[in-house]
Amino acid sequence: MPATPTAAREGTTDMPTSYYLILSFVLFLIGTSGVLLRRNALIVLMGIELQLNAGNLALLAFSRQLGDQKGHAFAFVIIALAAAEAAVGLAILVALFRSRQTINLDEASLMKR
Amino acid sequence: MEPAATFWDQITFWILAACVVGGALYTMTRRNPVTAVMSLVGTFFALAATYATLSAHFLAIIQILVYAGAIMVLFIFVVMILNREEVAPVALRGLGARILGVVAGLYLVFVFARVIHLGTSAAVPVPSETFGTVASIGDLLFRDFLYPFESISLLLLVAIVGGVVISRSHKKEVAAEQAAERRKIVEQLAHADFPALSDAGAGDAHGGAGGHH
Repeated sequence: MPATPTAAREGTTDMPTSYYLILSFVLFLIGTSGVLLRRNALIVLMGIELQLNAGNLALLAFSRQLGDQKGHAFAFVIIALAAAEAAVGLAILVALFRSRQTINLDEASLMKR
Repeated sequence: MEPAATFWDQITFWILAACVVGGALYTMTRRNPVTAVMSLVGTFFALAATYATLSAHFLAIIQILVYAGAIMVLFIFVVMILNREEVAPVALRGLGARILGVVAGLYLVFVFARVIHLGTSAAVPVPSETFGTVASIGDLLFRDFLYPFESISLLLLVAIVGGVVISRSHKKEVAAEQAAERRKIVEQLAHADFPALSDAGAGDAHGGAGGHH
């Protein structure tokens, strides 16, 4: 590998960063439209996960572009954050379902029954 | 100089991108939550492969371990608990919300287009030998990012405790409270000398005796 400095490492590609950014953008759009349009709270949580992953993809793309690994550390923290968010969000969902027998977000617009 | 993307690079990228976008779209349009979760797992696998093409091998492994392995299992369990089909899957009420959504979406497109136009005209540099490996990321995490790394553990602890507290059943607690209330009343009754009750009992007895006579 060090003999040919222009060659990519095995398993990596030399696609331009803009391609990855556009992919991240499309992924973020899909996640956002899921969050905004769907009424099932479970699907909304999945949309949030997609948004977080789109952010991670952009961070990693820029990290490679700049040759700086700090983006990787950021993405690591974001994955841990996503795990915490999923745990608490799903717990809230379960509590919501216990108290109202629904996970439709339109029916959960009041603080108290 | 600039390493051009080869034919196989293109093929790899486009297949992975198609998997990611297709999986995400499939996830967001399913009515059945189990199907949605499964296709989200597929999306995350494709995303992990995309991370690997960006020389982020450590993050690719973490993605599979944490997302596909842990978070998705949590989702599956919650789907099992809830198990309800939604009645009205899509709703965006009100004209104001629609206009706001369109404007916000256009702004998002504008910002992204500017970032992509500004930030990526440069050629992709060749990453160093250790870029994205477990050793170098660990070095970074435990030197420069030690404080954020430790605060993650605190965050996860809070999330665990919060998840348990929020989602646990309150039935037993309510039953225990009611039992304590009853015990208290019984204790109060036992300590009272019941003047009114004995009076009433005497009156009743007298009345009953009078009735007999």
